Amino acid sequence: MTGTSQVHQTLETDREVADDDRRTFVLDETGFKEVPKRWRRFYRHWQGEGDSLGPNEVICPVCKVVIRSTREFRPGDRVYCMPCMSRMVVVRRDDGTLEAEVTY
Amino acid sequence: MADFLSQYSIQRWLEMCPQGYLEDTVYGHAEGGSEPPELLDNEVLLESSIATTVQLIAGERCALAASSGLVNLAPDFASKRFLATQTLDEARHVEIFTQRLFDLGVAKEDLESTVDRYANPNLVRFAEILLEKVSDGDFIAGVVGQNIVLEGMAFTVFELLEATSRDLNPKFAQTLSGTIADERRHVGFGENRIGSLISEHPEKRGEIERMQQEMSYYMLATFADVFSDSGESVEEGRRVANDLAAERGGDPGDAAWHGADLGSASVEEIEGVLADTVLGEFRSRLGRIGIEYQSPSVPA
Repeated sequence: MTGTSQVHQTLETDREVADDDRRTFVLDETGFKEVPKRWRRFYRHWQGEGDSLGPNEVICPVCKVVIRSTREFRPGDRVYCMPCMSRMVVVRRDDGTLEAEVTY
Repeated sequence: MADFLSQYSIQRWLEMCPQGYLEDTVYGHAEGGSEPPELLDNEVLLESSIATTVQLIAGERCALAASSGLVNLAPDFASKRFLATQTLDEARHVEIFTQRLFDLGVAKEDLESTVDRYANPNLVRFAEILLEKVSDGDFIAGVVGQNIVLEGMAFTVFELLEATSRDLNPKFAQTLSGTIADERRHVGFGENRIGSLISEHPEKRGEIERMQQEMSYYMLATFADVFSDSGESVEEGRRVANDLAAERGGDPGDAAWHGADLGSASVEEIEGVLADTVLGEFRSRLGRIGIEYQSPSVPA
């Protein structure tokens, strides 16, 4: 349900991405229309039970949409949720999963 | 702070809302969409739908009065701009839910008497508590009451209604989807703007916590009233869904919402899941902005 497809690392030319070993992803549009068109591929609706997050996805704790990145998330990454205009930082929970914490 | 507030622009709202998910909609749904005949021709379901829609109108009228009042109380122009867009969002919600009453067969001249007849008195009291804060000129308490408590409740209630309408009433489900998208911005503003203001005014915490506790009580009382009257309509809705599914040669599906199977859960179970979900969200949202959630007493 992540709607992403992995791209081989060597295809990535962005210097920042090349600095670490993160997997990268091509983001497809999923019908999310709550932000201007150029940003739509970076968000999708959470489908509830049976849905799961990819390594490049976190849920916004404020508005519950899934925020997607072209790169695998790591703790410390800064994230912006355009649908509710919240700013967050990615943290690792005790169980090892990643989540976003809102910063005010 | 300046960067954060600069997000609240009319241009951004235009791109997200009228030019985004509301593009090509009429009263919030696709042109030509209509209420299903299985609902319009069924006395039990029709009255239940009218009663539910009246609660939505009552809540949105309160939100319209509160957000418009908060525009002039806001301490900065970015917040005024955002609340101006929220005022238009709330006015749209009043309009689309009122239009739904007309679509359900309520005559225009009977609108106010229908609202008076079905509006739950506990929901009215819930609204009055919020509007008292706004009329007293209390911006921080007003935004917490409006954008965290009221909008947090609406966000969850709309999600539940959307989940129950998705298969049988796509017109109403789409109408709700647009309001849910609006609520995302509203709860986001509530948390983000108050998250910074409350740290500058810690003396406001006690008063806001009491307001949240009181509003939560009347919210639970509203849920109790609404669900205690809904057993027959829930069973009738399931019967119609099963009949429709049989006609189509399939099954009615297994709509799940926060762990509850909406096709088989008892009315008491659904009410419990709704109440727990909303109160859990209050606790999380208030905790993030430094306000301690207060458990309400349970209505008799």
